[in-house]
Amino acid sequence: MITEKLLETRSDIENNMRTLLGRPVMVTELDAFALPCGCNGITANLRGLELDDIEIFEEQMLAHFKEVALRLGIPPSFIFARLVPGSSVVAAINWRVLCDRCYPEFARTHGKMPRPDIYIMHLERRKGGGRGTKKMRSGRM
Amino acid sequence: MKKRLYVPHPGHFDGLKKLISDAGKDIYSVFMAGSPDFVGTGRSNLAAPEIADIREQTEYAHRNGVNMEIVLNSSCMGGRHLTPEGFNLIYRYLGELDSCGVDTTVVADPYLVEVIAKDFEMKPVVSVLSFVNSPEKAIFYEDLGASSIVVDPDVHRHFDVLNAIRDSVDCEIKLLVNEGCLYQCPFRYAHFNFFSHAFGPHPRPNVLDDYYYERCILARIKNPRLIITSPWIRPEDIHEYAGITDVFKIGGRTHYTNWILNCVEAYTNESYDGNLMDLLDCPKDLKDLYYISNRDLDGAIDQWKTCGTVCVDCGFCRDLTETAVKVYTGGGTESETLVEWSEIAGAGVTNRITGKTVVHA
Repeated sequence: MITEKLLETRSDIENNMRTLLGRPVMVTELDAFALPCGCNGITANLRGLELDDIEIFEEQMLAHFKEVALRLGIPPSFIFARLVPGSSVVAAINWRVLCDRCYPEFARTHGKMPRPDIYIMHLERRKGGGRGTKKMRSGRM
Repeated sequence: MKKRLYVPHPGHFDGLKKLISDAGKDIYSVFMAGSPDFVGTGRSNLAAPEIADIREQTEYAHRNGVNMEIVLNSSCMGGRHLTPEGFNLIYRYLGELDSCGVDTTVVADPYLVEVIAKDFEMKPVVSVLSFVNSPEKAIFYEDLGASSIVVDPDVHRHFDVLNAIRDSVDCEIKLLVNEGCLYQCPFRYAHFNFFSHAFGPHPRPNVLDDYYYERCILARIKNPRLIITSPWIRPEDIHEYAGITDVFKIGGRTHYTNWILNCVEAYTNESYDGNLMDLLDCPKDLKDLYYISNRDLDGAIDQWKTCGTVCVDCGFCRDLTETAVKVYTGGGTESETLVEWSEIAGAGVTNRITGKTVVHA
């Protein structure tokens, strides 16, 4: 069952961050999503995490986030934190498998924060710019 | 202790029937939001009952010996109520509520307190969002015509202030027992103003994130002492307030009726064995993170009754946090368990920049 895997993963993300930060962090919800454009992935809605925490522990967190994605059968190609705009509050971590339409939007950006509400932790650039009409293959769980 | 309980009602008739059938004898009054199209409230609305529905529910409540209170406690109306159109609209709505037989209406704006007191049968209740935290404010509202004042929870553990308010006014004093908001919350005004617009008349802001809520939760996840210092009143401790009032309000009209009934039972019996977080109206999220055995808080009121609220010199709540707060780990899985807060955070974390060890709480 997907949901059982999600339950285990939710708890695992939470525990990993607690160990890193030395205080509780709460994953209030872990969702799998599929968008009409073809983008898909998972979102961990969080409480108790700030951008500063990510910046300090980015290397360790990212390694774990990639592992989490692979465990759920999701290519860890694009991982970002969603912030409450203009603040350091992290609202969610997103693992998003970009479709061919959305990929160029992000690929053309520069820096870690292309928007006030997005902090990019990892973006795999595609060879050839990623322009095309085909939608990217969905990750499998 | 003999007391009068004001109990939250989500707003739908089935909910009212359930509350009254299961706990009617313990309920003095229910309260629910009115229509957000006229005046907003300090909470999100699960229901927006029309006048006909309010009339029917009020009649049902009265038949069962329960009073009906409508909450219109917007902390900001953007000045709309002072315009001729806005005033006429609200005045007409108040008239309709009055014709339904509503007993009391909770408002936060002094103007509405005066309007209701002057022109309607139903009685105005001063909302917790009027932040009455001194005898002076209480006298002011009583002079406007308030029949009841819900005292700012920030003074719940300042018995000298509570006694002074009691001595200053003749109107009813009501204490909101289970609000889990931060003590001296810095977001309080901005957050409730936001709520008032988000759950009030159109146009409503279409907001992606509630910054104040996110910050509030974050603060308490980082430091659960802030839950201990929140000015809630445990069921076991309400007798300590007997000299001040016998009227208590349970917050929680955005919760399910079962949750409400659990609170009614706890406060009626003045006893609860379980997680304190089960009783707190907000924040809901944290009940899946923290387990605070209500029993572990026995006797803490003796300290709080004389508390100087200079936390940096005291440490009582910090120590209580160490012993009473437990954290769920592995939540939602077979390995779910509780660990001591100190096990996660007691050793502290070394700041990578300053090299200092920071111990939370």
